[in-house]
Amino acid sequence: MDHEHNCWQCGSADAGSLFCRYCNSLQAPIPDYYAFFGLPRTLSVDTDELQNRFYSMSRLLHPDRFTRRSEQERRYSLEASSILNDAYRVLRDPIRRAEYVLKEAGYEIGEQRSKDVPPELLEEVFELNMALDELRMGDDGVLPQLDEMRRRFLEMLAAIDAALETKFQRHDTRPDDGGKAEVLEEIKSALHRRRYIRNLVNEVDRQLSSRNA
Amino acid sequence: MAYSDKVLDHYNHPRNVGSLDKQDPQVGTGLVGAPECGDVMKLQIKVNPATGIIEDAKFKTFGCGSAIASSSLATEMLKGRTVDEALAIKNTEIVNELSLPPVKIHCSVLAEDAIKAAISDYKTKNGVAAETAQTA
Repeated sequence: MDHEHNCWQCGSADAGSLFCRYCNSLQAPIPDYYAFFGLPRTLSVDTDELQNRFYSMSRLLHPDRFTRRSEQERRYSLEASSILNDAYRVLRDPIRRAEYVLKEAGYEIGEQRSKDVPPELLEEVFELNMALDELRMGDDGVLPQLDEMRRRFLEMLAAIDAALETKFQRHDTRPDDGGKAEVLEEIKSALHRRRYIRNLVNEVDRQLSSRNA
Repeated sequence: MAYSDKVLDHYNHPRNVGSLDKQDPQVGTGLVGAPECGDVMKLQIKVNPATGIIEDAKFKTFGCGSAIASSSLATEMLKGRTVDEALAIKNTEIVNELSLPPVKIHCSVLAEDAIKAAISDYKTKNGVAAETAQTA
């Protein structure tokens, strides 16, 4: 992604994103995570490459290196280090990465109506709640059923993750004006479904551990 | 936020909790959910095929007090109505009856969705049953 601006220090145009290529002063950090790392806006990311960039940029931007520099650069190094950590945490995780891309593209995440959960899942959720109710009333007989349900939910999560990977690739290979939006829409509903099931697993774990406590 | 007396009454003494036989052709089952708050609502109706009148209604709801009260009230409203009269029930009636605050209106919407889902299930079952009878 192009990020052309004038250097705040020497005024040169086309200064470069991290340090000015002419006077080598630290530039204001780019808030966009992809642009900050100098990566193309793809949903599939080479995490080894990302990690390499993270380590080398951490060294370059570390506030300790700027103690003798101007106040402006000291501030930029703090800001840049903070963005670097946030950006790395988000981009190295496929789910957070996809959520970030969606959010930046203007999609609302986390808002949905009752119809978004497929009926076959509702059945499972209802059964799960019944079983958890019985567990709370002290009926340990439902434990095998809960284990089985938990296993099925984890399988669903794995299936969603595999499907997401394919969707990521489809998104990345389409041209910007050629149906990326359609794939993003699919990814959004897959993420909703994923979060919903994740919450179910967490709920089972919470109930099981509070019972053991 | 305080619950209204009517919500508390339905919450503490829910009417018509339970289930009907899902396989019974006279029974329509509606299962709806609000993923964000985790509410799940099952509402069932038993219809007299001769009169089209809802003779029994049961529910089981996992959710907040307002969701439980909304579905409890819905089952009370359903009994004695015809299927078409039941389809006309609006969530606003539930809101007014229970004095639900704005943040809990989605609970009444869920109850309306559940009613519609139960009726639609009943109709599907019997539409299909009628067609099979004709072709047989």
